[in-house]
Amino acid sequence: MKKAGFFIPELIIHVFKKPVTVDYPFEKLEVPKGFRGTVNLNPQLCIVCRSCERDCPAEAIEISVVSEQEKKFKMVIHNDRCIHCAQCVEVCPTQPKAMSINTKFEMAEPSRWNMKFEYVYTRKLKEKT
Amino acid sequence: MSITIPIGPQHPALKEPISLRMTIDGEVIKDADIRLGYNHRGVEKLFEGKTYIQNIYVAERICGICSHSHTTCYVNGVEKLSGLEIPKRAAYIRVLIAELERIHSHLLWLGVAGHEAGFDSFFMYTWRDREIVMDILEEISGNRVHYAINTIGGVRRDIDETQKTKILNHLKVLRERTQYYKNLGTNEPSFVARLSGVGKLSREDAIALCAVGPTLRASGVDMDVRKDDPYNCYEEIPFEVCTSDTCDVLGRTVVRINEVLQSYDIIEYVLKNLPAGDVRVKAPRKVPEGETVSRYEAPRGENIHYIKSNGTDKPERLKVRAPTLGNYPATVAMLKNGFIADIPLIFAAIDPCICCAERMAEIQDVKTGSTEIKTFDELKKYSKKFDKHTEHKKDVEWPL
Repeated sequence: MKKAGFFIPELIIHVFKKPVTVDYPFEKLEVPKGFRGTVNLNPQLCIVCRSCERDCPAEAIEISVVSEQEKKFKMVIHNDRCIHCAQCVEVCPTQPKAMSINTKFEMAEPSRWNMKFEYVYTRKLKEKT
Repeated sequence: MSITIPIGPQHPALKEPISLRMTIDGEVIKDADIRLGYNHRGVEKLFEGKTYIQNIYVAERICGICSHSHTTCYVNGVEKLSGLEIPKRAAYIRVLIAELERIHSHLLWLGVAGHEAGFDSFFMYTWRDREIVMDILEEISGNRVHYAINTIGGVRRDIDETQKTKILNHLKVLRERTQYYKNLGTNEPSFVARLSGVGKLSREDAIALCAVGPTLRASGVDMDVRKDDPYNCYEEIPFEVCTSDTCDVLGRTVVRINEVLQSYDIIEYVLKNLPAGDVRVKAPRKVPEGETVSRYEAPRGENIHYIKSNGTDKPERLKVRAPTLGNYPATVAMLKNGFIADIPLIFAAIDPCICCAERMAEIQDVKTGSTEIKTFDELKKYSKKFDKHTEHKKDVEWPL
């Protein structure tokens, strides 16, 4: 039977329901386990193969040489450019992976220059097997 | 005397920049003109400077809603060029994400249609249900919008048993809600009367003007790339192509509701018959010389990527034909002889995605005349006012 106001019972039910949204800064929703958040480097594991630098679609990873003799390198992760695709984590050849991605999503800073992370480290030599 | 009304290109109410010029005679649109080019980002040039792996993420960012459509289309093309055979499990996961994306896109569209027709509670409920799909996608892929699940040679993430049960539980809720919207049509005469008879596009016109997707299927043509030219194991999955013979906005709504229900069936089939095995094979960085065309049924219609390779790790040329571009000529035909009050509804009915379509195209049909500027908001208000004065269509049947 056709009658106007098919939606009215649904509308009345919702008057008495709690809001679906949460009070954000005070209350936070949980992100799932596999969420792609901020990229991190574990300098102890890095072998400086430059795969991440080569494959990053946003050119957010920069590796430069600090000292050739001491095998010292500098990696800069530009979080302002990062598009959170986790391609760098995927191509990382070390076991366990030197690049990792965590579930942190609150990355806002007053200036985009503060979102740069720098790591200066000595290259890990390949273990002889 | 004919008057030309420009809408856009820059207006906060218009979600993306596009310019519509309507030549009107009294209340009736005599001619329509769509002008593109306000959102050109040079994506195709960007493709040429990046490697095949980097380009997956560029392709993903052509559009927010059909991000999986563009990557799958691109990745399928590259795999065809390299002669790679992806594992069956990877193909099934691609189908799963594609159908979840279809549900999310169609629910979004239903909300927009409700909003443009002045039925805002419908808009809020469909968008609330869309959150469930977004949550499923976030759970599987790690992000709500850019899933980044595709890679050359397979998919990047596998799904496990707990995720499977979670998806099936969520689907139960969604199916119930969609069934409710399907019943809504039979009980809410005002909504059906507003959509019926608006934006007529005959079967012959739809074929002649190369309409795609739900716009074409609502004109009674059963064309779907998933059936006609199957990719990613679609030939093994049972589903029906939904069509409607009403040739108007009501038909497009019906096609989309039916497609959402079909998508639930496909997802259930995929989860029950997910083959075991690897999800990816190793792909070479360089792609052999050649060219290919890849077709994909995106939620909005047929998506085409043309890839030309020169044997290096970067493509020589990549051309994207997004479904919205295919629907523009049909939109002009739909707008002609319609009313000014129906412009927002007709234009929304093709589910336009301007940022997808901004490549290179020009549709020009300019008539001289005095100009009157009306904003999109004013037009919407006018649409609601106009509807009050028209006679109610009483004998419209919900075709479901």
